[in-house]
Formats: sequence, C-alpha cells, structure tokens
Amino acid sequence: MLHVKNLAASIGDAEILKGLDLAVGAGEVHAIMGPNGSGKSTFAHALAGREGYEISGEAVLDGVDLLDLEPEERAAAGVFLGFQYPVEIPGVNNMYFLRTALNSVRRARGDDEISARDFLSVANEAMELVEMKEGFLNRSVNAGFSGGEKKRNEILQMAVMQPRLAVLDETDSGLDIDALRVVANGVNSLRGPERSMIVITHYQRLLDYIKPDFVHVLVNGRIVDSGDHTLALHLEEHGYADYVDAASLSGAPA
Amino acid sequence: MSIDVLSARSAALEQVASLQLPTKRDEAWRYAPHTTLGSLDFGPASDSAALPADIDADIPAIDGVRVVLVNGVFDAERSRLGPLPDSLRVQSLADATAEDLAGVPQRDYDAGEDAFSVLNRAHGTGGALIMVNGQVDDAVHIVDIVAPDAPHAVSATRVVVEMAAGSAATLVETRIGGGESGGCNLRTEISLATEARLEHIVLQDLPANHVHLGRVDVVQAEGSSYQARLFNLGADYGRVAYHVYLDGEGAEADLSGLYFGFGKQTLDQQITVVHAVPNCRSSQSYRGVLDDESTGIWNGGVDVRPGADGTDSEQSNDNLVLSRKAEVNTMPRLEILADEVSCQHGATVGELDDEALYYLRSRGIAESEARRLLIDGFADQVMDDLSDDVLRAWIIERLGHAHA
Repeated sequence: MLHVKNLAASIGDAEILKGLDLAVGAGEVHAIMGPNGSGKSTFAHALAGREGYEISGEAVLDGVDLLDLEPEERAAAGVFLGFQYPVEIPGVNNMYFLRTALNSVRRARGDDEISARDFLSVANEAMELVEMKEGFLNRSVNAGFSGGEKKRNEILQMAVMQPRLAVLDETDSGLDIDALRVVANGVNSLRGPERSMIVITHYQRLLDYIKPDFVHVLVNGRIVDSGDHTLALHLEEHGYADYVDAASLSGAPA
Repeated sequence: MSIDVLSARSAALEQVASLQLPTKRDEAWRYAPHTTLGSLDFGPASDSAALPADIDADIPAIDGVRVVLVNGVFDAERSRLGPLPDSLRVQSLADATAEDLAGVPQRDYDAGEDAFSVLNRAHGTGGALIMVNGQVDDAVHIVDIVAPDAPHAVSATRVVVEMAAGSAATLVETRIGGGESGGCNLRTEISLATEARLEHIVLQDLPANHVHLGRVDVVQAEGSSYQARLFNLGADYGRVAYHVYLDGEGAEADLSGLYFGFGKQTLDQQITVVHAVPNCRSSQSYRGVLDDESTGIWNGGVDVRPGADGTDSEQSNDNLVLSRKAEVNTMPRLEILADEVSCQHGATVGELDDEALYYLRSRGIAESEARRLLIDGFADQVMDDLSDDVLRAWIIERLGHAHA
C-alpha cells in the first residue's frame, strides 16, 4: 500500500531525514518511535506535503508517488495527517470546514457532493465516536479548544474523511488519561482491512491503547530498528541511548 | 456647531467661496488622494442623472420604510414611505419647515468643521429628516444613489436623525452609484436623547470611479446607546469619519466595521469618540482586508475630557494584508485628561497564516478555497455583530463577488 524509499528531507543545510525506508501493508498499524529531534514529525509532514522542505526519494501510495502532489491532492489520494499541534482558525465554522473538506475530496475523486442530511449523520456519528457534545461543530475550528478537544477534533476529522492512510503525529501529547482513552478508542474503531496507520509517538504509553503490528525506531533521520510491539516495551525500559550512541558512532569518522 | 438646519445654509454658502481643502499635513486627511479631491466639482444636488434601471438588484432586500435619495435629493417616487408607524416621521429636508424642526433640539456637536462638511451644509439641502419617537421595529433603509451627470461632479447628501427620549430604531444607509466619475459628500447627523437606542449600519458600495466622503456626527444624551456598523467596500477613495460625542452619563457607543480593499482602492476610517462626561462606555472594533494595491487607513481616537472620570473605552483594529503592494496605516489615538479611566487599545497587521492554509489543504481543500475560507473567517467576525440576516447575506454575497 505505502512504500517509502530512501526518503530524504532537509531545510537549508540541515538534513533531517537521511534515507528512510518503510513499507506499510493494507490494514497494518505501524508505530514510529524515536527521541526528540530524530525526524518523526518531519516524516509525517513530508507525507502530508508541508512546504519548506527539500525532498528526495519516493513515497508511493497505491501506485501514486505522493511527493509529486500538492497537500490537497494527497488528501484526495487518501492521506490524513493528525496534527501534533492542530491549528486554531477563528471565524471558520468547524462543521462548514468539515463539509468543505469532505466535498473537496469527493469532487477530486469524481464523486458527487454529500447532501446536507447525509453529512449531518456522518458528522453525528463521528461526534459520538470521540464523545463530543453537541455544539462542538458550531464552534470555530480548534479556536479556544483545550488540548484534549483539539486531539479529539483531529480524530473526528479522520472519522469523517475515512482516509486510506492515517498518519497520527504525537496524538497522545498533551492528553490526560481520560482523553487518551477516548482518542485511542476512536482510532481503534477506525482500524480496518483497507486502512493503514502510522502512529508516531515519543512514549510507549499510547501503544498500550493502540496496539501496533510493527514498531520502528527512528534515530537521526533513519529507521535503525524494527520489530513487533515488544520492541516498544524494550524501548520503554532501556530508552534510546543504545541507538543514539550507535548512530553517532556510525556518523563519526573511523 | 449645532444642527441649525435652516439657518446655517446661507452662512455655509458664504464660506464656500474661501474654502481651503485639507492637505497632507492634516492628520485626518494624510492618506487622502489630494490630487483627485482637488479635481472634483462640488455642487448642489442634481437629480437629472441617468439612474441604474433596477436598484433592487444592488441593495439588500430590507422590508419596511425605504427612503431613496438621488444625488442627495429626496426621491419620493422611488421611496417606500408607507405605512409609517406612528413612532416614525420621514420627510425631505428641503420641505422641512421651522415647525417640523421644532422638535430637533440644538445640540453641541463639538467636532470641527472641515471644507467638506461646510460644502455639505451649503449644498446638502435636499436630504432626509428622520424623526423617531418611540419604538420602530423594522429597519429604516436609506438608499443613496450617486450618479454624477458630468465627470468629476460631487453631490451632497445630508441626513438628519433625531431620536427622542426612550426611542429605539435601526437605520441602514446603503450607498450605490453609477454614471460618470465623481462621487458624493455625505453627512449623517444623529442625535440621541435620554435612553434612546440606535443601530446604524452603513454599506458603502460606490463604483470604482467614485469618491465617497462620508461623515457621521453623533451626539448622545444620558443613558443612550449607539451602535455603528460600517461596511466600507466600494469607491476609489472610500472615507467614513465618525465623530461621536458622549454628552450624558451612562451613554454607550459601540462602533465596529469592516473595510475590504481591492485594486487601487483607498479605504479610510477616521473615528473620534469624545467622552465629555463621567461614566460613559465606548468601543471601537474594526477589521481590514487589503488585497492588490489597496490601502487601508484606520485612525481611531478616544478623547477623554477633564472630569470624565470613570470612562471605559476599548479600541481594536486588526488587518489582513493579502498582497505585497497593499498597505495599512493604523493609528490608535488616546487623549486622557481625566482620572480613573480604563482605556485599552490594540492594533495588528498580519498576513494569511501559512500554518492554517496548510492545515486546510491537508484536509483536501484547494489552496484558493482555503485562502477564501481564512479571509471570510477573518471578515465574518465583524458580521457576527450584525443582528440582521438579510444584511449579513448581502454582505457575504457582495464579498463573494469581489473575490471572483
């Protein structure tokens, strides 16, 4: 489904991703863990299409290289990024935003726009999923939302957009234990054989709730180790020190 | 000065001969297009011009009383003057007799005259007199049609609004036009007696070859409330100056507005609120969006006179600049000569938020539409202050056309 090959990203002289390889099959959930500054968020934004990076390599989703596409075209191709820091947009109604987003993607795929009534039932279902009260959709997008509300809003958008590939960037950051449970339940209920997920996290905690099929360790712009969910437990106990030392050794002149 | 509707005309006509137009050195006229203003031909109102065939297409569909002024002249035929509620009197200023005006008290406006207000007094003889005594439920709609019959011709429009004690009304002034280049010099004089309330909306949508020299003078008695909503959208030079004089304790003035510039428009808002007595409240909240090579000016002043203790005022001006060649000049002014006052002010000038654009695009929304969502979201926050859905819909549609 997703094949990332030799992906490199830099800003100016700073190389952040240095040849990242990753294959994600349909229905799989992959966790990417790593220390601060290892390139986790850059990887997420490289897939979603943020401007400002020099990018090389490839990231092919269902036969289409995402790196050739604008952010909105990537969304139409099925990519969804759950932001670590969802952006506050005062004055733009959450419901209108969601409907515009969904219809934009439908039009891009050659589908009809969704009717107001059908949209309402889709939105209500998504609201229930993230346990949000009525009125949530009538507020401005993320404006004045608590940290937990912002993350719930991301999952709500994901539920409405029904992406092929969901990339969740530090979805657990800033959440208390109750909000974490709600968000994780939302994510779990959106798992399915046709949807793949990349869950980026600094801590193992989230993976107690969202059980990954594979865990990868990202250090210094490369994936340095992969395994099943037990790798996350190992990391929780031992930290990233071994990997970081190895990476700095391999980068040092012999 | 005061509203002396009849007697002041001859004096003004005498002054006109020796008038000096403002220059760049006058702070309130610093960014005005002085060359253009110097080329204009100010004269008495004219009603001979070719008018737009169907004005209904160009104005919001507000039910109720409609007063049409063509180049400043009261047009009874195009107006919709009945049935008038008992609480409302509407008539041409030209026909106003001393008896009609007996109910209009002399009030000190305390705002300086400039060349254009003198010209207005000299030539604005055919406008409207609106007298409210009680509650008027439907909005009173004044439609100014500006249609110069010769290039550079500028007519004068004058509206006098008298709100009796305890009265309440909504007044909408819509300004549209056509015809030759030129424009209009408009003045609205509003007086609110004790506990009177007025919501006053100005929709400025003149053609791009016009100048709009608008001035609103307001004097407020004890416990009165004035809400001003400005949508300054049209004209090559679109100017609206408010002079609000809080002359009775407990009076409140709440002014807000949106200016939205395209092409080479200059949109100029000049606001002065005078707190002359203690314990009054005022707020000014304006937003500007400037695209292409347009210029926005916001010059908002609060003037707290000696003894006006307990004054509470707030000012904010936020601007969104969409193009490198667009420009904003924002100037909050405070002059405080009293004690125990609370005066807050703030101004911002920013561009579209790249992070917000990216966020919207990452959800599949095309860049052009994402920009539009953000711009509308910024502008909508002014429209939230509007109580009337018809007006809101008209403005949104008008802005939608401007985007296209």
